[in-house]
Amino acid sequence: MNTAALQNPIFRGYLFVLVGLLVVAGILLAIFRYVFRKNVTHAWNAYRGWLIIIPLVFTALFFGRVTTIVFFTLLAIGGFTEFARATGLYRDWWMTGVVLLGIISVGVVSILDDPETHIHGWYGMLMALPVYVVSAILMIPILRDRAKGQLQPIALAILGFIYIGWMFGHLAFLANARNAYGYLLYLLFAVPLCDVSAFTFGRLLGRRKFRPNISPNKTWAGAVGAFLVSMVFPWLVRFSFPEFTPRDLILAGVIVGIGSQLGDLSISVIKRDIGIKDMGALLEGHGGILDRVDSLIYVAPLFFHMTRYFHGL
Amino acid sequence: MDSWRYEPTGDFDKTPIERLKDFPRHPNLLVYGARSVANFTIRAILRIWNRLEVIGRENLPETESYVLVANHSSHLDAPALLASLPMKKMHRAFPAAASDYFFTSLSKVAFSAIVINALPFDRKENPRQSLDVCRQLLETPGHILILFPEGTRTADGTIGVFKPGVGFLTAGTDFPVVPCFLDGAFKAWPKGKSFPRPRKLRLFIGPPMRFRSRTSVKEDAVAIANEMRDAVLSLQPRNLFTTLES
Repeated sequence: MNTAALQNPIFRGYLFVLVGLLVVAGILLAIFRYVFRKNVTHAWNAYRGWLIIIPLVFTALFFGRVTTIVFFTLLAIGGFTEFARATGLYRDWWMTGVVLLGIISVGVVSILDDPETHIHGWYGMLMALPVYVVSAILMIPILRDRAKGQLQPIALAILGFIYIGWMFGHLAFLANARNAYGYLLYLLFAVPLCDVSAFTFGRLLGRRKFRPNISPNKTWAGAVGAFLVSMVFPWLVRFSFPEFTPRDLILAGVIVGIGSQLGDLSISVIKRDIGIKDMGALLEGHGGILDRVDSLIYVAPLFFHMTRYFHGL
Repeated sequence: MDSWRYEPTGDFDKTPIERLKDFPRHPNLLVYGARSVANFTIRAILRIWNRLEVIGRENLPETESYVLVANHSSHLDAPALLASLPMKKMHRAFPAAASDYFFTSLSKVAFSAIVINALPFDRKENPRQSLDVCRQLLETPGHILILFPEGTRTADGTIGVFKPGVGFLTAGTDFPVVPCFLDGAFKAWPKGKSFPRPRKLRLFIGPPMRFRSRTSVKEDAVAIANEMRDAVLSLQPRNLFTTLES
């Protein structure tokens, strides 16, 4: 990736589509508000959030590989902080601190070059990091010579690092790919699209509850509709990955169509068990960082290893 | 085995800004880290740029909670006082800052709450409630409350009248009150200048005072405030010389 982002037809394509979508959505909201006199407060809050998120993401990507990695690492730090604040892990400063250092290490090894091949991103160390971070987490109670009540913080810290730090970190590492713009922009577009489709199909057709004990608003119709939209979408944005064969396009659709719904539900399990509605209150209408990126966390590493296996990064 | 318990923080539902405006603040590792770095930098700058010197450090109580009262002549005052306290007290020293000035815009809130660790003091609408917050703060041992009882920065370099609030706060309590005189800050950073000048700063710390036998009626509070002002004035280097000579 280089700073000449605007030279890149994929970047230009997505920029054009997203600016267009924001404009159209804004006009539609205005029509509903002023012509049909509907109450659009809820949708307006969500729209205002997108007006912040989309330019922020494009700016990070525009300035290239390093800013992209730093941006996603900051998101991971923010997401883990929310997780720690929600579960109570934040009270244990050593655990929280070691996980934060681990997440920063994920960002650093993504920026560094591989010492042997000299290509961007130290892949081998990214894969080895969980070993070191888990070892460090397990060391903390031993250094403190304390056993009582230690299993919970250990488990929460490992989950927090592996899921929110390391698995999500794969998204940042994608910035090192030859086709970084294509992969990143596809994921950043397709995953929210899957969420929106699930919501829309659920509203229009939904009757039977999908997983009532985890997320009572999800329906079977929403889940199936979102899966179908996600299966079609890679074919529509085939320009994002010219190297993909039909097999890869189907796999990309399956990973997003199933993965993002599972990611959503995974964070919902955590929220439901704790007994909270949102992971934070960062953006009105969107909740916290984790509420926004929940699906991406699940999808990013699956997509990463699919493309890496078939095409190299 | 005990079953697992999840306890979200008390300020979980609040936006980041609301969390910074909240007082007492909930502990946050990232805020503590940022404050440590910022304070370390400020200490270094004050030592080098302003050659900050502290006289009478032995007068600071060790474990008790106490109140520092000082003259207020510039924005350097709070950082200079914080830089004169032991490093380990950094997160437990709270300069009271006017909420109508320091807790208005996003950048000011972030600076006041993260770097200065300020206690938002409502000097206009509800000073009584803010004094209650100060009192609760002092009831936990090891806390330091930094007050500028003049209530505003001096315009001409002289020390103004001390407001009686500090008298209401300390009358009938055993909290030690440590008077301080910061010398040079007015010349180093007068009101209206955008950047501090490299003038020498000296902080004189006096012996603690207590007001246990006093009552919190208006006259006593005014008297206590005046006594504190006299104690701060007596620390002025000019006065030191005159007392030595006489």
